[in-house]
Amino acid sequence: MAKGPLENVRILDLTHVWAGPLATRILGDLGAQILKVEPPMGRGPQVYPTVPLGGFIGGVPGDEPWNVNAVFVKLMRNKKSLALNLKTETGRSAFLELVAVCDVVIENFSARAMVGLRLDYEHLKQVNPQIIHVAMPGYGLSGPYSERVAFGPTVEPMSGLTSVMGYSADEPRATAMAIPDPTSAVNAAAAVVTALRLREQTGEGQLVEMSLHESATSYAGPWLIDTQLGHEPERIGNRHPKLAPHGIYPCEGEDDWVAIGCRTDSEYRALCDIGDLPLDRGWTLEDRLANQNVLDEAIVKWTRTLPHESVVDSLCDANVPTGKVLDTAGMLVNPHSISRGFFVPLEKGTPMPGNPIKMDAISSEDWEPCPKLGEHNEQVLSEWLDYEPDQIQTLYDDGVIVNRPPR
Amino acid sequence: MFSEEQSTRVLEIGNYSAGYAGKLFAHAGCDVVRIEPEHRKACWVSSRAMDLFLHHDKRRVRTFDRELIANLANKADVVLVDGESADEVLAIGFESWQTAIKVAITPFGMTAILALGGYTNLMGDPDRAPLTLPGHYVDFQSGGYAYTAASSCLLGRHKDTIDIGMLEVIMSLSQFTTVMWTCAQTVRSRHGNDFWSVVPTTLFRCKDGWVYINIVPGFWDPFTTCLDLPELTLDPRFLTNDLRMKNRDALHEIIADVFIQWSRSEIQQRAEVARIPLGAVLSFPEVLNDPHLNERSMWQRINYNDGDSVLSPRPPFVMSAIKRDVLALSEPKDAMDG
Repeated sequence: MAKGPLENVRILDLTHVWAGPLATRILGDLGAQILKVEPPMGRGPQVYPTVPLGGFIGGVPGDEPWNVNAVFVKLMRNKKSLALNLKTETGRSAFLELVAVCDVVIENFSARAMVGLRLDYEHLKQVNPQIIHVAMPGYGLSGPYSERVAFGPTVEPMSGLTSVMGYSADEPRATAMAIPDPTSAVNAAAAVVTALRLREQTGEGQLVEMSLHESATSYAGPWLIDTQLGHEPERIGNRHPKLAPHGIYPCEGEDDWVAIGCRTDSEYRALCDIGDLPLDRGWTLEDRLANQNVLDEAIVKWTRTLPHESVVDSLCDANVPTGKVLDTAGMLVNPHSISRGFFVPLEKGTPMPGNPIKMDAISSEDWEPCPKLGEHNEQVLSEWLDYEPDQIQTLYDDGVIVNRPPR
Repeated sequence: MFSEEQSTRVLEIGNYSAGYAGKLFAHAGCDVVRIEPEHRKACWVSSRAMDLFLHHDKRRVRTFDRELIANLANKADVVLVDGESADEVLAIGFESWQTAIKVAITPFGMTAILALGGYTNLMGDPDRAPLTLPGHYVDFQSGGYAYTAASSCLLGRHKDTIDIGMLEVIMSLSQFTTVMWTCAQTVRSRHGNDFWSVVPTTLFRCKDGWVYINIVPGFWDPFTTCLDLPELTLDPRFLTNDLRMKNRDALHEIIADVFIQWSRSEIQQRAEVARIPLGAVLSFPEVLNDPHLNERSMWQRINYNDGDSVLSPRPPFVMSAIKRDVLALSEPKDAMDG
């Protein structure tokens, strides 16, 4: 398994979809022992009715399509898999035995799910008073919205972000990228290490709540405070309230764009010189902010006649902040990403996004690919809980643990 | 050597990424000293708003003396630095400090070359310029990674230098975009507000604003009752998600015609009854008055200027062991003032 500073930490991972699995992937990359406790049908049925959105690792479903769903696999490196049915009394009981020997339980079910399974914090702490339970329901465990159904895309506009994103005052745009999910993932990972450090000081476990809604709202904090100070933010497209020029400009090719932003007067003058722009080199930031239409018009007139490489190269040489707007294919062959080894060919040679944290103690060379469903059933139950082989076989016979989805 | 846990010392130098990481350390009860940067990076809000959001409960020092900064760094358990480039971080002496845990956050990492990270291309309308994400999301995400990595080192009593490239943070923000290309050979493209692969999932105008719906297949039937149009479940154009994608425009038109007659609160009530995922577009004053956030004590009062105060969102995780209702923002002091 991956090595790292968290290698003595055991985490029971009940998460699904994106925010939760990304949080545990971050912790696994830092060396934590992640045990993915999966429902028998958690990866879908034995036969997939359609090709999943991200396709299959290796391009084809093969004999075990549930083990090669690329979107799932992407989030599952450095985790062990125990396919355990928590809805059975025996499965629940085995889970509580695991809680007794682990440090953290993390889940992103709805607010009522863990209570329904009788696995909420009140039950968990009875078997392990030091357990840290991180609950990630969309709107938290309490309050008037706690029963609402929450997905990242529907939570995002409730944070205020959509009120400032878009082309103009009457054209709001959502990211359509479900941004509360990855922000919650990072905050959940931060919450786990915070709770573990507090436990070192107090010796006590605790319940930690980490909602999508509050994660998104927290990141909107600067705007929320500025509003109280009397500054009403506006929806200004690709402009910046304090930089000009600042935008995304078309180049010669189809759907070919470059981002340009000038922070200083000298960068602005360099841009004017390189593009031979018919603009006043003496304009201050205030002048430029007051003449953004003029600036944008001149820049567009220049960039749209040139290939993006020409625009980017010439501006980079003059230290004017710029970059091509890359699509996914371009991102993967970006020389910078390649030189830093960010994408790791971990899953049958398929490049997977790596870890933005680089440090000596961790290396992708130690990483293990996504386990098969139930791959570690025997190992975990025997090594962590001292189960005998016949006990484990009984669990298989009763369908409490599985290593392929039930028919 | 690490100091005792109760008084973990954190030195923060930089702008918004280091500032966010420092904010999380302060929230966790650490002793955070912030060196004010010589140059402030352009900010989406007023400097005062950003200071109130990031720098409460920290001691703030103004100095550009490299020797003094090095002395402070050598006495800290963790140093957090962000800069416009690796050169900028190295120029203040980062490599020579003896601090147990050093974190550098730069736009392109410490082995820098210039590039951009594949995210903007997915936002905005297909026939118009891509849209950038406003605000400081990538700064804060980078700060979150920095905090998590440095805290993990504290927990494991591990000394290390941590390098966080914001470009890589951006590239780790996508859910299915990369595998959609590498495994399904499809380059994801931008479609305005539309999530595209699941229909209907987009923004709709209503009587008094906008709402976003995200109707994955399991929510289709209850959604039709929410619309008061249960007959849509039998409409051959919309029987499956594939068909709804094929007949997207027709379906969007039907939904738009219904929603425009209702207010956000009416639609929200219906969504709650039908148990479908829906969120209203809220302005910032509306977020501040959100009854759910208020009931969950989302806001912390921050005192500043001897009598003024504002409400700030608390960090997103709620822990019984951390309870501080009122925070304070101190003004920066020159190093000579102590």
